[in-house]
Amino acid sequence: MIETRDLTKTFDNFTAVDSLNLKIEKGEFFGLLGPNGAGKTTTISLLSTLLLPTKGEILIDGQQLTRKRPDLKRKISVITQEYSMRQDMNMDEIMEYQGRLYFMPRKQIKERTEELLEFCDLLKFRKRTVRKLSGGMKRKLMVCRALLTDPEILLLDEPTAGMDALSRRQMWNLLRKLNEKNLTILLTTHYMEEAQSLCNRVALMDHGKLEEVSTPSALIESLGAYAVDEMTADGTQNHYFHTRQDAIRYLEGLTGQASLRETTLEDVFVERAGKHLNTK
Amino acid sequence: MGIITILWEKWVEFRRDFYKITLAAMIAPLMYLIVFGMGIQTTSHGQPYLNFLIPGVVSLTTMNGSFNAIAQNLNVQRLYEKAFDQVMISPTPLWQFIAGQIIGGSLRGLYAGGIILLLTAPIETGLIFNGWSFLVMFLNGAVFSAVGVVVSFLAKNHADVPRFSNYIIMPMAYLCNTFFSTEKLPGFVGKFVAALPLSQTSHLMRSISSGEAVNYTGIGILLLYLLVFTVAASWFIYKKKNL
Repeated sequence: MIETRDLTKTFDNFTAVDSLNLKIEKGEFFGLLGPNGAGKTTTISLLSTLLLPTKGEILIDGQQLTRKRPDLKRKISVITQEYSMRQDMNMDEIMEYQGRLYFMPRKQIKERTEELLEFCDLLKFRKRTVRKLSGGMKRKLMVCRALLTDPEILLLDEPTAGMDALSRRQMWNLLRKLNEKNLTILLTTHYMEEAQSLCNRVALMDHGKLEEVSTPSALIESLGAYAVDEMTADGTQNHYFHTRQDAIRYLEGLTGQASLRETTLEDVFVERAGKHLNTK
Repeated sequence: MGIITILWEKWVEFRRDFYKITLAAMIAPLMYLIVFGMGIQTTSHGQPYLNFLIPGVVSLTTMNGSFNAIAQNLNVQRLYEKAFDQVMISPTPLWQFIAGQIIGGSLRGLYAGGIILLLTAPIETGLIFNGWSFLVMFLNGAVFSAVGVVVSFLAKNHADVPRFSNYIIMPMAYLCNTFFSTEKLPGFVGKFVAALPLSQTSHLMRSISSGEAVNYTGIGILLLYLLVFTVAASWFIYKKKNL
């Protein structure tokens, strides 16, 4: 459904996205992970046509996405990292503006707005201008706005940044429900727990290049499903093992303080980012 | 139609800031009229200076109203609020977005110019303002709205639009046939200034208000400016790689 072919974006002499080849299937929940400056947000900006590629192309359902393709853009909704909304409009106006931009009938805009604001517990704040909303409320409003148009593809750039733990969990549940309805989701996040919990597949990016694409469980398995954290004078040392027995055996041989746990996607990310990705 | 959506957005903005917009449109032109037209009472071309001044002030008010309504607003949406991102990804054709901005800006200019016409209506000047006057005001507004779109796309930070206003819009407001005739400017400078869109508008407004035949060349020049800046704005929105 979403395909990038040799997608490249350079700013002067800096290559933000470097020959990115990616295929995301319909209904997939796909995570784009990487350290700061890896090129994740630039990729989202290219997919939303805010930026145009220096080289390569983006295909949506096999057709090239450009700024002149309203039919393809109709399928996409974006939740950007920043609060990309008119600060002086209230919630109702934000939703109506979005609906109008997508050529939705007024009646449908009103009904869907009611439904979505109610669902996100924002209904009582509907006449409040964006400027006066808390960060969490703005995030929720951005989700409502993105869902108003019933997109087929949802691009999420750090959607839970700045949210408290409870709101984040609520957002996860919402995203899971949407994905169950066959919505294709591309997510960038710094929260590895989020990617591990939500994504069918994840891609690791660094310096604009795609390093690895796999399922979270396969990535964890490749590192070792069990981790031993050993406290040393230099800090915590992590050791990974493929079987629990190997991990216990190693743990028994240690004299200092140590603990056994399951490996997480964050471990994979830290290992790759620290030892592999950044050394390139 | 995407144009209606953009006009709706402009209407929401206008409705909310009605008093601010109205006051801002009135103050500077009123000062010009009071100080230059009524305070310093002179004659120009054998007529009271006020008769020369009013069409010029209406023209510059239309220009300011349109330019400010678009350039600053779009700049804030693009660089600060990032609300422009939502327009870019939406299926609204971008040419309709540009057209909506230009029409919306023209209407704001027309509103600002209309206020000045209303305020000066009780003064017995004998000036005539008719459908042609409003057409010229609308065209002038359209030109400067299109300029506003281009400037907002060129701006790299929030200070760039006020900077452009200071260096380009403000000198035009004073020099372009508004307070005095461009014929008084020396040689090439005079010819250059006379060719600028505000000079054309002032000249057209003045000739219409004094009952002369409509100068179609002037209207043609304004249309040409509008075409050039609309094409430039469209180029930016469709082709600029990093908006």
